[in-house]
Amino acid sequence: MIKKNYLLFFYMPLLGIVIIFFVLSNFNRNYIRKKVEHLVKEQLQATAEILKVNISHFLEENNPAREILDRYSQEENIYYIAMIDENKEILGWSSRFDGYLPLSLENIEKENSWIIDSPAGKIFNLFSSFSIGNEKTYYLYLGYSLKDLDAMVSHSRQSFFIIFGFIFVIGIIFFMGLYQLQSHYLEKKREAEEEKKEKERYREISAFTSGVAHEIKNPLNSLSLLFELFQKRVPQELREDVTLGKKEIQKVTGIINQFADSLKPLKLNKEKFLLEDLVLSVLDSLKKEVAPAGVETKYSQNVRVVLNADRALMSQVFINILKNSLEATETGDIQIQANQQRKKVLITVKDTGKGISDEDRKRIFDPFFSRKKKGIGIGLYLTKKIIEAHEGKIDVQSEIEQGTTFFIQMPGG
Amino acid sequence: MRGQAKLSLFFISAIFACFSFGQEPQHFYNVDKEIKVEGTIQKIIMEPRYKNTAPFLILVLEKKDTQQRYNIEVSPVWFFDHDFHKGENVVVIGSLYSTKEKTQNIIAREMRFRGETLVLRDKHGFPNWRGGPMKKRGGRKGKRF
Repeated sequence: MIKKNYLLFFYMPLLGIVIIFFVLSNFNRNYIRKKVEHLVKEQLQATAEILKVNISHFLEENNPAREILDRYSQEENIYYIAMIDENKEILGWSSRFDGYLPLSLENIEKENSWIIDSPAGKIFNLFSSFSIGNEKTYYLYLGYSLKDLDAMVSHSRQSFFIIFGFIFVIGIIFFMGLYQLQSHYLEKKREAEEEKKEKERYREISAFTSGVAHEIKNPLNSLSLLFELFQKRVPQELREDVTLGKKEIQKVTGIINQFADSLKPLKLNKEKFLLEDLVLSVLDSLKKEVAPAGVETKYSQNVRVVLNADRALMSQVFINILKNSLEATETGDIQIQANQQRKKVLITVKDTGKGISDEDRKRIFDPFFSRKKKGIGIGLYLTKKIIEAHEGKIDVQSEIEQGTTFFIQMPGG
Repeated sequence: MRGQAKLSLFFISAIFACFSFGQEPQHFYNVDKEIKVEGTIQKIIMEPRYKNTAPFLILVLEKKDTQQRYNIEVSPVWFFDHDFHKGENVVVIGSLYSTKEKTQNIIAREMRFRGETLVLRDKHGFPNWRGGPMKKRGGRKGKRF
């Protein structure tokens, strides 16, 4: 999947851009080169015409061909020059490169011009005829340096490689970004799909469980009433057993009510209240129930934190968290710290208890997950549900034998 | 127009009047006249061949079967770093030309001797000592294969 995405969103577009640039650039360079060659050809033909006129004059004055050509041999851009008679016999020549005259008289038939590549660069070759007063025909063979064209081509090639490199680097950055975005989008989509499936599954379980709870609650109520009657009518020696039975039925009813409550969608009745008041009242009630003798609880805050939330539900949140902390801590302290930061309230609940293993930590907010002997594992699940209903977040960090810290982030304040 | 051309020609002529190659009209690398000759070295001489260049190494070669003698123009002496010896067998590929005195001359492009091949010019006659491929690779003298 990753390979396919890389191919689709990185390699292929990058390669496509590079190929398009390469092809267009090549077309463009070839076009410009042809145009320039054409212009150069026209200009050099005009130069050659002037040369032919001058040479004609010298020939008319009976100057030897070799002497005439020597006059032009040091011209900066003329690499070689030769004069040929109508029988294709060389009358004289001059070359800057020790005998280099790349002309095949056997193959040349008429006037012609062409460009050759030589170790000295591109050379424009012109073979053209001219006549002098006595009607004799001569041919002028001229090799004209195209070093400026070479320099231009070289510069163009250099520019091409610089731009090519630039586009390649930019392309890598751009398409890598695109690939990352696409991967991120796919990841989010996958998560959303999973969440949707999870919700669907949860809805089905909720419906099923609600139905079961409802069906069980009615017979349990009847049983409870029956035990009430039994309690009044049974002999004295059986009354204690009946009371025990009645308590067990009430316990089962309680569990079923908890199940039913956890499955209900939350309705928030928001009000403004001081966090400190809420936490301290929860701590008071818990201390009576579960607080071990050697455990101290401390509440601190940077400012007076006011929450706009459902007080009863938030109370449930702190009951669940603090009850867990108190049950897990035999000695040490539990610190509750509240900090208001801009539009967020950050609350940490830190204990020095036995800690939670990494494996358990990942599942701690799952419904019906519990390592306690007493408990059905919906406390922290409900806690998370309540905080998320307030658009808040909850997380936990823990180390075995070092303690556990719950982090709660609530909006507003 | 004609007057202007004459004037410019006069100017150019004034600058370059002193140049004169003094070589035979046929003394150039004529691609139409390439031949291959195998013979033995009879004489080794050095003499100037082109205007403003260093002396060239010239081998007088005698063809094995016909005893025809050829003057082989190898390269400027400074460019060539191999030793030739009289009586050595050499195969030469190059362009043939004759002088007025009917001397047969070959401008060497490639030479084979002692199992080595030395490339002196490209196939159009461009000399390696004037910026050819060997020169660009650091002025190595002759290309060995």
